[in-house]
Amino acid sequence: MTSAFPFPFSVPRLGVIVALVRRDYLVQRSYRLVFALDLFYGVVNLLVFYFISKTFDETTADLNGAPSYFAFASIGIAITIVLQAASGGLAHRIREEQLTGTLEALTAQPITVSELAFGLASFQFGFGMLRAAFYLLLSGLFFGVGYENADWVGFVTVLLASGAALASIGVILGALVLVLKRGEILTGAVTFAMGLVSGAFFPVAVLPSWLQAIGSIMPTRFAYDGLRSAIFEGGGWGGDALALIVFAVIGLPIGVLCFNRGLLQSRRAGTISQY
Amino acid sequence: MGSNGNLLSIEGLSRRFGAKEVVRSLDLSVAPGQRVALWGPNGSGKSTVLRCVAGTLTPSAGSVHVGGHLAGELAARRLVGASLAQERSFYLRLSGRTNLLFFARIRYDDRREGSRAVDGLIEELEIADIAATRVDRCSTGMVQQLGIARALLGDPSVLLLDEPTRSLDADARGRLWGALGRRPHAAALIATHLDEDLNLCDERVSFPV
Repeated sequence: MTSAFPFPFSVPRLGVIVALVRRDYLVQRSYRLVFALDLFYGVVNLLVFYFISKTFDETTADLNGAPSYFAFASIGIAITIVLQAASGGLAHRIREEQLTGTLEALTAQPITVSELAFGLASFQFGFGMLRAAFYLLLSGLFFGVGYENADWVGFVTVLLASGAALASIGVILGALVLVLKRGEILTGAVTFAMGLVSGAFFPVAVLPSWLQAIGSIMPTRFAYDGLRSAIFEGGGWGGDALALIVFAVIGLPIGVLCFNRGLLQSRRAGTISQY
Repeated sequence: MGSNGNLLSIEGLSRRFGAKEVVRSLDLSVAPGQRVALWGPNGSGKSTVLRCVAGTLTPSAGSVHVGGHLAGELAARRLVGASLAQERSFYLRLSGRTNLLFFARIRYDDRREGSRAVDGLIEELEIADIAATRVDRCSTGMVQQLGIARALLGDPSVLLLDEPTRSLDADARGRLWGALGRRPHAAALIATHLDEDLNLCDERVSFPV
């Protein structure tokens, strides 16, 4: 019996990753209006939280050093975009490849599991970073969020560590989509729930204690805490970054292994060309 | 190459989908330069065999080796150029050339070498117009020619062609067979139900087996 992709751990070729990113960029660029609508959606999202913040002006909750609820939420919005891209980007791309019918043609090529997994996820992650940067800029320029205490080295460090940690979950979710096909509902639910218990849009202190306990072990919790500490307090992000790196070091090989199993399973079932 | 001198060795290949056994105990060896036609009606298992060789489908029983490597392994996929179901195998919003360049980037470590290979194939198969057109504006026959160009990328030792002439006009058919003739060392496995294709192959395996 044949054994496809028997050795999943190999260093991806940069050229292949770049080719996948470029292809995704060109496809995305062909839907020009989507770019504009996406940015518009982000601005509306910021406005909603801005007016919520105006409605409930004072809060006694711990905001991780953020000077206002809007400052707290705007970071949550921006970072959630990156974290969603890291955790759900691969699953989304796999689903698109299934629907367009290109997944079989792609997996018939001499491409490794890690090239496939990280190459398919990279554009979404990079695009998410750019969108997050844009919303942070808007928050600073037009909504009065101050970044005067920000430690940008710390911010970028925690952001990259968050991306790597969340990518491990993303690769596992991508494997689920390979096998289950309509797994995007699951991926959406997982990423949303992780944001809910990790303080994306409100302080975790308002959650019941059992939800706080769940949130305290989520990589997203370290991501939000570390990023807010870096941007508003200018320090105190080292522990969060370390936790995220440990999570990535353990999680990424597990994720690649799961993705390999997903590919093997879809080959055995004969469903790689199905959607 | 396998120890017996064959590029492709299929031993006892069976593939089952649920209760239905589509391919049963197929044995086949293909030597370099040999063209073998998988001949039979629709649904008789020809494409299933090609997919097992390409590595996108795992046999239920038996084994497939390409150049001595298990089908599906990276080393085996490097040796195989496949034109399977073409209708839904390209990125529709990109041009033919951009699609080919993308797949070339996976096949070739050097970007310029891949680019030269793409341009060479576009010239050889005379598909400059197709290459310049966005795939969603191409006809079935045009996409089929792109599929053949993609299969030839990387100068593969084993070519898998699934009904390669089905939607082609006479000129395009001539160019396809001409391209195969210029690759005398490549083994070709061609699924077809057309007499014309059969006459240009060295051997026939009748389906269902």
